[in-house]
Amino acid sequence: MSELRDKYAIIGTGKSRLGRVEGVSALGLLEDAMKQALDEAGLTNKDIDGIVCRGPDDIYSHHQLMGQRLGINARFSTTLDNGGASQILAVTLAVMAIQAGLATTVLCGYGRDSWSRTNVGKDKKQTDKRQEPNLIPPAQRPREHGPEFGYFGAVAPHAFGARRHMFEYGTTREDFAAIAIAFREHATRNPEAVMRKPLTLEDYMAARLIVDPFGLYDCSLVSDGAGAVVVTSMERARSLKSRPVAIKGFGTFNNTKGWFVDDHMVSTAAAESAQQAYRMAGLGPKDVDCAQIYDCFTYMVLTQLEDYGFCKKGEGGAFARSGALKLDGELPVNTSGGQLSEAHVEGMLQIVEGARQLQGVYAPDRQVPGAEIALISGHGGNTVCHSTLILGKA
Amino acid sequence: MSDYSKPIPVPSIESKPYWEGVRAHKLLVPRCDDCGHAWFPPSRLCPNCNSSTFTWTQSSGRGKVFSYVVFHRVYHPGFTGEVPYVVALIELEEGPRLLSNIVGIAPEMVACDMPVRVVFEDITETMTLPKFAAAEPR
Repeated sequence: MSELRDKYAIIGTGKSRLGRVEGVSALGLLEDAMKQALDEAGLTNKDIDGIVCRGPDDIYSHHQLMGQRLGINARFSTTLDNGGASQILAVTLAVMAIQAGLATTVLCGYGRDSWSRTNVGKDKKQTDKRQEPNLIPPAQRPREHGPEFGYFGAVAPHAFGARRHMFEYGTTREDFAAIAIAFREHATRNPEAVMRKPLTLEDYMAARLIVDPFGLYDCSLVSDGAGAVVVTSMERARSLKSRPVAIKGFGTFNNTKGWFVDDHMVSTAAAESAQQAYRMAGLGPKDVDCAQIYDCFTYMVLTQLEDYGFCKKGEGGAFARSGALKLDGELPVNTSGGQLSEAHVEGMLQIVEGARQLQGVYAPDRQVPGAEIALISGHGGNTVCHSTLILGKA
Repeated sequence: MSDYSKPIPVPSIESKPYWEGVRAHKLLVPRCDDCGHAWFPPSRLCPNCNSSTFTWTQSSGRGKVFSYVVFHRVYHPGFTGEVPYVVALIELEEGPRLLSNIVGIAPEMVACDMPVRVVFEDITETMTLPKFAAAEPR
């Protein structure tokens, strides 16, 4: 795949308003983000011939609805189904489609209204029956081997991994706290972030437990929001007025045998995905200037730091506590605040953040100085899908 | 038992024999006739060699806690009075891992790799759940 290195580019990025956004649907938020990405790329809907996107799990044929709303007849158009790994996969698929001659300029994005739909039950005046306080559509909820034991939600599977990692490697909640605190510190510099109040170790330890070993601050936010990027060839990018970011490498791997099988919960699919992406980019972990790592829960960052080779297996906790993840550290991670503190848009904002760090658009207190290589990760599905994107300054 | 307020399992086509076994206080897992691999949850093909012939085999009911979590948040009204409660991933001696509860000891006494054995809890006239209790190592 190294022959594709630097041949494709992200030429525009967009973000909707984030957090609690009333009066805008999940599709509407994505319209906002896609429009911003088009504007930044110096393009219009007439220039787009590919759509790869995703939204809430109960929106069927999501890409068709986006094409309708933006007024695009697409040559290549589809919706993805790999959870938080889908967004990087959208960029990957865009490259593959362009390489195959199926499209030239592809709009990728993800939008959700998770805050609005899960908080609807608390407002008695809201009677829209299509909405209910659960992000999983009813037909997709497990009916055996889980709920009868009180096993619900996305926190628990990740907490299982965290517990086993603590047992095997001596990882502690203080290690998880270092991750949450570093990302919060970044969020204080980001005016778009939802959680901007500094977090201390005392705050972390005093917070209520959700599913032990995870407390409140180990868990990402429930957000309304959307992000989008435009992908095209580097050749075409050079002819536009945009500031392109080079796609240097990508990878994906899925531990589809299951999260509970083998050692998957302590050594994740990130390891294989990383190797593919590093090989394609001709780079290794030491070359990465900033990383935007999928942080649905603190522990998922810790294990990925190890799986990506930023430190050895079992040393993720010490690495996080060393201060390495901070903006002035050895490896600035989740420089926007991430999903733990900016907003949780299933990894889409991580792509936007990585690209913008390389474009160098931020004020000095928020910018990784001299950033040339950004690594972005996506994780999800039933906790087993993983994708990696390595971007470079063009 | 009629006031049972927690979710009651809805067996699938593949898992029906498993639940019938549990009802008879037997923990049955599919075991491949060709390669001997045992797995869970039940499905038609052996996930190891994809053979389509397997036999429902009774597990010893002994195993260890591979990992566990303690629910403090109530996700379902049936568990309102139960928090904090333990959900564990049990690794059976025969290999498969399955979710269950640890009963009979306080959450803070549960640990990874601790030995456990199955105990059966009849929750309705027709449904039984396999739960696990601390066991002596062997």
